[in-house]
Amino acid sequence: MRIFRSFGMLLLIFLVTGCAVGNQYDYGTTNVSLPLAGDGELGVGVLERRSYVLDGDKDANFVGLQRGGFANPFDVSTASGNPLVDDMSTVLQNALRNSGYTVSSLEFSWENPSAIASALAKTGKAKNIVLVVSEWKTDVYMNMTLHYDLTLHVLSKDGTKLAENRAQGSEELSGAGFESQNSRLAADAFETKVGRMFNNPEIQSALQN
Amino acid sequence: MKRFTRIMLAGAMLALVSGCANTSLTSDIDPSADIKSLQTFYVAKLPSDERGIDVMIENELNAIGKYATSGSDPKPSSPVDAVVTYEDKWMWDITMYMIELEIDLRDPETNYEFATGRSYRTSLARKKPEEMVTEVLSKIFAGEISGEME
Repeated sequence: MRIFRSFGMLLLIFLVTGCAVGNQYDYGTTNVSLPLAGDGELGVGVLERRSYVLDGDKDANFVGLQRGGFANPFDVSTASGNPLVDDMSTVLQNALRNSGYTVSSLEFSWENPSAIASALAKTGKAKNIVLVVSEWKTDVYMNMTLHYDLTLHVLSKDGTKLAENRAQGSEELSGAGFESQNSRLAADAFETKVGRMFNNPEIQSALQN
Repeated sequence: MKRFTRIMLAGAMLALVSGCANTSLTSDIDPSADIKSLQTFYVAKLPSDERGIDVMIENELNAIGKYATSGSDPKPSSPVDAVVTYEDKWMWDITMYMIELEIDLRDPETNYEFATGRSYRTSLARKKPEEMVTEVLSKIFAGEISGEME
């Protein structure tokens, strides 16, 4: 009887935690192909605006939840350990370089969004891309769901808005797999969403003119 | 205590077994892409693919009246409307089975992924790879193929 109880406890512990603890997703090394080609100079930055990060409830490297056997949630973080927006910025800059642009990083503190203006002035590029992340997290239990709210801005050197495109929603990406599979799905979803936002006439026109 | 333990164990077993029959069929198509107008495709073989998934995709596209070729080079040798890339995942449960298949349609010039489809089937809901190819392409082409839809 004792052995059954021990087995039951082990099974319970496995179900509650399972493969759910300490998951990390690799956003920083994703290859993103954008639907544009150019040869100009761009300033590029990603701004953190997720409410639960801004109020300190979650760390800046939080990327979502992995649920255990009874749907109990565990935080998932970036594989790099860096803030999610830093990984996204790296990926976006590489993607724009591959599209032919000369890219400079826009550095601004997410605690102070007004610093965007000074970052634009400091970089001094006539065209700048700022991706604002108001929501980005995955939630994995039986399936993997993505919750997102992204706004892509094209700004001039003085901060004038030249174009804007917003994408938001919640959608099922696929069934839940192991950590590496979920990581790939999450990174693929970023490629898809960012690509869709760039494939917009206003955004493309603002970048070309 | 005995009753509680039994209920917990039954719940645990139910959770374990239900995980064996999970399916998901999804797609994400760029609204500006005219998918149905695409006629010529090049399926770029995944280097790690030893099961010929590229040929299955090529065959399915040809079967629905498109013109598709496949090869090991990442780029086609002649112009096409779309390059097809894919990724297959396999698991073992008594025998090996395909647990997930993702198929992407990409712009030949920029490599931009303008359509993606994905089928996920755990062991008890498994299908043959050819059938998963059909259902993913059905999802992408939204009814143009007479395959199973979600």
